[in-house]
Amino acid sequence: MKRRVAVTGLGIISPCGNDIDDFSSNLMAGKSGVRRISSAYSSLLSVKIAAEVDFNPFNYFTKRQVSTMDRVNQFALAAASQAWKDSEPSLDAKEKERAGVYIGCGMGGGSTIEDLYDHLFKHNADRVKPLTVLMVMNNASASYISIEYGLSGPCLTLSTACASSANAIGEAFRQVRDGYVDVMLAGGAEAFMTYGGFRSWESLRVLAVEDPEDPSKSCKPFSNNRSGFVLGEGAAVVVLEEMERAVRRGAPIYAELIGYGSTSDAGHITRPSLEGQARAMAEALKEAGLSPQDIDYINAHGTATQWNDLLETQAIKKVFDDYACKIPISSTKSMHGHTMGAAGAIEFVVSLLAIKNQAVPPTINLDQPDPECDLDYVPNIGRKGVKVNTVMSNAFAFGGTNAVLIARKMEE
Amino acid sequence: MATTLERLKQLFLAHYDYKVEQVTATTTLENLGLDSLDIIDFMFDIENEFNIRIPDQEFRVRTIQDMVDAVDRFISEQNIESSSHH
Repeated sequence: MKRRVAVTGLGIISPCGNDIDDFSSNLMAGKSGVRRISSAYSSLLSVKIAAEVDFNPFNYFTKRQVSTMDRVNQFALAAASQAWKDSEPSLDAKEKERAGVYIGCGMGGGSTIEDLYDHLFKHNADRVKPLTVLMVMNNASASYISIEYGLSGPCLTLSTACASSANAIGEAFRQVRDGYVDVMLAGGAEAFMTYGGFRSWESLRVLAVEDPEDPSKSCKPFSNNRSGFVLGEGAAVVVLEEMERAVRRGAPIYAELIGYGSTSDAGHITRPSLEGQARAMAEALKEAGLSPQDIDYINAHGTATQWNDLLETQAIKKVFDDYACKIPISSTKSMHGHTMGAAGAIEFVVSLLAIKNQAVPPTINLDQPDPECDLDYVPNIGRKGVKVNTVMSNAFAFGGTNAVLIARKMEE
Repeated sequence: MATTLERLKQLFLAHYDYKVEQVTATTTLENLGLDSLDIIDFMFDIENEFNIRIPDQEFRVRTIQDMVDAVDRFISEQNIESSSHH
């Protein structure tokens, strides 16, 4: 028997705000979180911009936690804590056995790895911090969340690059829907703002060139002068809950999660495929039992690379046909950057906020439309008073993994 | 010069959120809520603070005084000048 799944809590740590209200109002106002990189090594880089999170860990954690958890774990726990407080699922001991954690993360404790190698190779250290293994391992975030809330059902880490956390939410949705668990904390986190990380992206020639007049305007999805993505970091976690339980206890219900599409391009390690993306969207629609005309808003993957934006536009046209040009679509990466393993979850939260606010955030920095990207990308100015019942959130990854989520407003 | 106990206390306060009166010679690590993983982590900081190396299996301590005694023993065994880095 398939059960219904409610989203009953949201949490976010992002370059555009560290709580849901700030994040929501900043995005609607078109405020960019992109700026010059704060680290000293930025002078060595050709690209000196990023979307960094303004985060003081001591506001959230003990000294011991700050020194023994990587930044990515701190982001994940901080976002989970917001979602948990928002939802207040109040699980008893038995219920905690039917509750789990799925977290998406691409790179694990990237800054810890960099510190480790810096100590070893540059400073010839003969020993390293004892908890290094725990700070590097990619599953630490999910495990810390499971420990914090005593959730003893399935606890998995999904690593599919930029689709990681969309996969985490989609797979968690199926766990609840198919009756394995009743509550899931699902989402993702990434904090790979390291010298090595920037150098790696720089060499791959996918990073946006800094806007000569205003660094905060450097990421230009769907624009004719787009030049790539801006590296971001952050985390988002949502509480997924079996619908009857959520209704019974009067939980806040942001939306019902109704569809998930998961495909692989099986083609090229970096170049996206129209077919793979389109199939993921079509599968999500099919699972949701919807037709294309039912979708009121799409949060695009919209990286601002040449290939992604062109192919994603074509894939949307393939799936939505004539209706494609009628749907407001935005790439909020123009503001919060590409948060990698956190992107799917952060943008799913953006999509849920579109339902909550009946408003859609803009794609900023879209002054010179690309003639081949000719859909309604909500350029530059957010739209309020829009009927948003059903939303789609796209995440397409290096490696060829595509993950699409669809959620619907609860009927009053 | 600060005693080993004083320096250990400062180290505790730098790395954990204890109040100063919580950390005394007779305090047990268990009272402080420290498990074996915490102690392994803290040993690294002790090694740095006192410029010593703590061999595996040779740091069986229950109280902070035990820790003081062990540190003093390693300092003398390893012939290290017991001066603070600070």
